[in-house]
This record gives sequence, C-alpha cells and structure tokens, in this order.
Amino acid sequence: MADTPIPLEVRNIKKRFGDTEVLKGLSLQARKGDVITLIGASGSGKSTFLRCMNLLEQPDEGDLIVHGEEVLFKQTRHGREPADWKQVVRMRAKLSMVFQSFNLWAHMTLLENVIEAPIHVLGKPRKEAIEQGRALLERVGLTERADAYPAQMSGGQQQRGAIARALAMGPEVMLFDEPTSALDPELVGDVLRVMHGLADEGRTMVVVTHEMGFARDVSSQVIYLHQGLVEEAGPPQDVLVNPTSPRLKQFLAPKY
Amino acid sequence: MLDLHGYGPRLLEGAGVTIQLAVLSLMLAIVLGLLTASAKMSRSWLLHKIATLYTTVIRGVPDLVLMLLLFFGGQMALNVLTDILYDRSGIDIFINLNAFAAGVITIGFIFGAYMGETFRGAFMAVDHGQIEAGKAYGMSDWLVFRRIRFPLMMRHALPGLSNNWMVLLKTTALVSVIGLSDMVRVAAEASRATHEPFTFLLPVAAIYLLIASVSEWMFARLHKRYNVGFGGH
Amino acid sequence: MELVNWFNELLAGNLIFTPQTLGYYWNGVVTTTQLVFLSLLVGLVMAVPLSILRGSKHRWIKLPIYAYTYVFRGTPLLIQLYIIYYGVVFVDGIQQTFLWPLLREAFYPALIAFTLNTAAYTTEIFHGAIKATARGEIEAARAYGMSDRMMMRRIILPSAFRRALPAYGNEVIFMLHASAIASVVTLMDITGAARFVYARYYAPFEAFLFAAAIYLCLTFAILYFFRFLERRLLAHLRPQN
Repeated sequence: MADTPIPLEVRNIKKRFGDTEVLKGLSLQARKGDVITLIGASGSGKSTFLRCMNLLEQPDEGDLIVHGEEVLFKQTRHGREPADWKQVVRMRAKLSMVFQSFNLWAHMTLLENVIEAPIHVLGKPRKEAIEQGRALLERVGLTERADAYPAQMSGGQQQRGAIARALAMGPEVMLFDEPTSALDPELVGDVLRVMHGLADEGRTMVVVTHEMGFARDVSSQVIYLHQGLVEEAGPPQDVLVNPTSPRLKQFLAPKY
Repeated sequence: MLDLHGYGPRLLEGAGVTIQLAVLSLMLAIVLGLLTASAKMSRSWLLHKIATLYTTVIRGVPDLVLMLLLFFGGQMALNVLTDILYDRSGIDIFINLNAFAAGVITIGFIFGAYMGETFRGAFMAVDHGQIEAGKAYGMSDWLVFRRIRFPLMMRHALPGLSNNWMVLLKTTALVSVIGLSDMVRVAAEASRATHEPFTFLLPVAAIYLLIASVSEWMFARLHKRYNVGFGGH
Repeated sequence: MELVNWFNELLAGNLIFTPQTLGYYWNGVVTTTQLVFLSLLVGLVMAVPLSILRGSKHRWIKLPIYAYTYVFRGTPLLIQLYIIYYGVVFVDGIQQTFLWPLLREAFYPALIAFTLNTAAYTTEIFHGAIKATARGEIEAARAYGMSDRMMMRRIILPSAFRRALPAYGNEVIFMLHASAIASVVTLMDITGAARFVYARYYAPFEAFLFAAAIYLCLTFAILYFFRFLERRLLAHLRPQN
C-alpha cells in the first residue's frame, strides 16, 4: 500500500477565533477506505477541525496534505493564507463536503446541483455528467426528484441529494459535517443508510456526527475531541465500548 | 385623429432616443453598480472609501446639476486636452462631446451609485452556505460568482433594480436640457412652435406610462425566472 | 466689519465668485427653499386625506386617486412641469382672473407641478404605511369599541405616520433634487444661478461644483433633521437594552 499516497493527512492544526483557541494542535490521517468519526460536545471544535481540512476555515498553524500534495501557506496581513488558491481549488475538488444544512444551490434543480461542479470544475462533458448524475440519484433513491428544486424537497431528500452531489466529484475523501443534525428524527435513517452503504464500498470518509450507533457500526477510528484537543482516539470498540477518560464516559452516558 | 403638425416622425425618433438612452444607461449603471458593490464589500480600505464617497456625493446632488457639470465641464476638459495635443504635436482635432454619450455616461454614473446600494444589499442577503458549498466543490471565486452568487443575488436585487429602472427612465427626460432630441425636447419644441402644448406633451406622457407598464410586466417575468426554486414568492 | 474685509480679501483675485455672483447663488438658495418647502407643505396637506381615501372600499373613491398617483409617479416631473407651464395659458378664461399675474411667472406653475408630484408620492408612502398597520392593533381597537373614524385617528394614523418617516425623508430629499429642473423654465433657483454663472464666465466646473456643494449641504441638513426626528418619534420601535 505504500505506493499509493494517503488521501488526506493533517498535522498539528491550530486555530483561534479572536482570543479563544478552538483547535490546539489536532492531527489525523485518513488512509484509503478509512471511516473516521469525530465526536464531542458542541464547542469541542470538531466542525471547525473538519472545515480546516478543506480550508473553509484557514488554520493558523499546521500542515495539510491531500493525496500526497502539501498545501502551501503564506503569511499575509490578514493572517495565514494559502499561497496558491489554484492549488486550493484543485485540492478541494478531491475532497467533497456534505453540510449540516445541505446547502444545495437553491436556484438549481437537484440534477443541476449534481452536475454543476463535475461540468464546471472537472470539465466533464455535459452528457456524461448527466448520465452519471442520474445514476447517482438512483443510488440515493431520488430518481423521481431529479427536476425538483431543493425548496420542494424534504430535509432527508435534500441531504441524500447533497450526498449524490458529493459523489459526483469522484472524491478521494468525503467530509461529512453533522449530516443528520438538521433532520427530523424519522428522516435520519434514510441518510444514515446511504452513508453506511458508502462505507461498505470502501470510501474514505471523515464524519462529524452525534449518531453514536453509526460511529460504532461503521467507523474504523473514532476520535473524541474536548476543547480543541484529542481526548481519546482508537477503534470504536475501545473508544465507545470501553472508554477510559471520565469525560468521554460522561459524554456517552445515556442522557435520560 | 391627432394632428401632429408634421412632428410625428421626429416625435417617434425622439421616443427611440429615449429608449436607447435608457437601456444603455441601465447597462452602464449595472456594471458600475456591481463594481461599487464589490468595492464596498472588499477588504481594501481605499476601495471602500472611494465607493462610499461616490455613492454619497452622487446621491446628494441633483441629477440635472451632475448632467450639466459633466456635459459642459466635460466639453471644456476635452477642449483643453485637444489644445495641449495641438501645442505639443501639432495635431489639430476638435472633439465635440456628443449629448447622447454625455447623457448615457451621466445617467449611468448616477444610477451606478443607486445600483451599488441595491446590489450590495442583495449580495449580503445570499445565504453563506450556498457560497461555501461552491468553494467546497473546488470552484474558483469567479466560478462561484458567476454560477452561484450572481443568480442568487439577482433574486434579492430585482425589486430594487426594477425600482431604479423606473426612476432612471424618468430621469432620461433631463437630457433634453443639454440639447439631445429625445421625445421630451421634440414635444417641448413643438409645443412652443404650434402653441398646442397638450397635443404633444400628453402623448409623450402616455408613452412614458406605456414604457413603464411594459417594463413592469417584464420585471414580473424576470422575477418569476429568478425566483425559480423559491416556492411561492 | 472685519468679517466683511476678510470676506472681500478671500474673494480678491477671484474672477468668478464675486459678491455679485454669490448674491445670485444666495437668491437661488432662497428660491429653491421656497419652492421645495411650499410644495412639500401643500403636498403633505393633500396627501393625508388622499392616502386615507386611497384605502377606501369604494371603487369610485380609490380608483381615481390611484390613477392620479399612477400618472404622476409614472411620468417625468419635467413633462408635468412643461404641461402646466405651457398649458396654463390655454385654460379658458384664466387670463381674466386674479390668478393670471401669478401664473404668468414661472414660479407658480413650477410650484403647482411640484406640489401635485410630491402629493402623489406622499399619498402612496402613507397608504403603504397605513396598510402595514399590525392587524392586532386594529383588532384591539375594535375590541375596545372604537368606531372606524376614531380608530383611524387615534390608532392607525399616529403609528402609520411615524413608520412612514424614513420614506418621507427620502421624498423630501428627492424633491430638493427634483426642484433643480425649475431652472429649465427660467427660474433662478440654485441650478438656475449656476447656469447663469456658467454662461457668463464660461466656467462650468466652478459654477456647477459650487451648486453641487450647496445641494450636498442641504441634503445632509435634511438627512440629519430626519434622523433626529426618527430618534425622537420612533424610539418606541427600538429594542430596549
């Protein structure tokens, strides 16, 4: 396996907002087929950490290596910024993110959402993109809704559509930012089933989630964050079934 | 039938001038408005100051005064420039500032300031998540602007845009003052010559109302188009 | 006296801004102020009843008012001014009345045009504000047994006028700027003075920039006046800290 580069590696990421340091040096390595789940209370920094991985937030310190290519940074008067935005664009095209609030583009139909980036970013021919898009919509169970606008769809449908949009990029790594948190409870299952399927077919995923069942059943590694630091990490059997840190124990304890 | 004393064709030509003037000014105003909005939202302190100065001054001074300033002042500046050219290199040219061009530039310049405010508000109303999704999928800033920010912004900008257009349309009447033969000038001339003001001025007023009504209808259609995907708005 | 000396010294060596031309500008400010103030005042007085009637249930009351505001808001003020300025001669018998000496001058036709114009805009502004009155307030007034007339006078109008204040402030500034076209029918308002100075000295930048500066000052004065009014009258709409 040494000849294929690691899809995503981040080292010692630090980030502060004003006076508060939200990430105090976090690292992560996603090998091919890894499903890494990030858990932790709100404010632990897990979403910020994920957003640093595709530079929607600019880390103040730390390295980011996507598919063997290290992202270069420079210091400007607004702080640390990528030295070459073209590189960022290239690297983001290899990582596709699924957002908590779906963020399907409101002025495009579902199919248009799915083919948008493949055509305009990857330069795929339109016909091919449409074919692939329809196949992906079938896969997430939304064939019927290809011509619907996001506002006409339920939250669960939107999120499955957003996953299809992410898959259309043929990503090295998929980043999920609390994909089920904005959904009504009865719609969570559909989305999780799709994600489960993706894990089964060997996709590399980094998932921020509150769904402990999903973390336990699917992930190869679970990372528990507390106040911007890794409190505990390892295979789900260790971290979720036999937690050692008292904080994690409390976090996992039933709330009712 | 209305007796236009032979002014009919000129009046019609004047209406054409009004419409061309309005459409070209609108295009210039939209370009300037987008630039102004970008300058106001940019991180550059200088650009922000320049844009603020521009919108403040323009909105604080009557259109007619700006038009007179640009037309007569512009002509003088051109004369000075051509004089210098003659002194330096012996090239003797005389550029006459065309009233139509002056009209387009002034009206475009004035409404660029109003459009700037409209666009700025509309850009800020676009949900940030929509833009992030574009970035996250590897779109360049320009691509995000063209495919996502601009179409989404238009939905918010359209009411303001349509309002600005209605005001702009009426402002075109002022170019008659700097000598452009738009329909207002032709009608005023004809009124004086024939002593029948109502015969000419009332139809011109009616044409303005007609253009306004047609544009209202067109904006309603545009509104529908840019509201695609937003349910019952 | 020292001030006068200082002033003369300031103007010395200046060929354009002589005491005489400054006098033209000053008279221009007076004319502009009179025109704008009077038309706004009369327009406001007209707009209050019109805006109430504009919301009437009877078609024959509300439609003519709507037609009036539609026409006056949909056509350029310059056309309205021309129609009144050139057309007033042709009103039958007007030359025999006491009004004629007044109407023969450009000031009164301009005043009439501006008044009708601002009344139309103001009517729509107030109408919008009245329509926006919270249903709950109306229901509360009904529940306490107020008659329609009393409700309009005690509940709807006071809150509507306050809400209309920012839009009305814009209308005032709009009228100030629109009044510049009075110079087209030979009135010596601020713009008229500037055009005169321009023609006399062929100095477009000095003549028009000075006028622009005066308008800018007046605009800011109006702006601050309305901000002050809003702070006083709209205090109830601000959240308490």
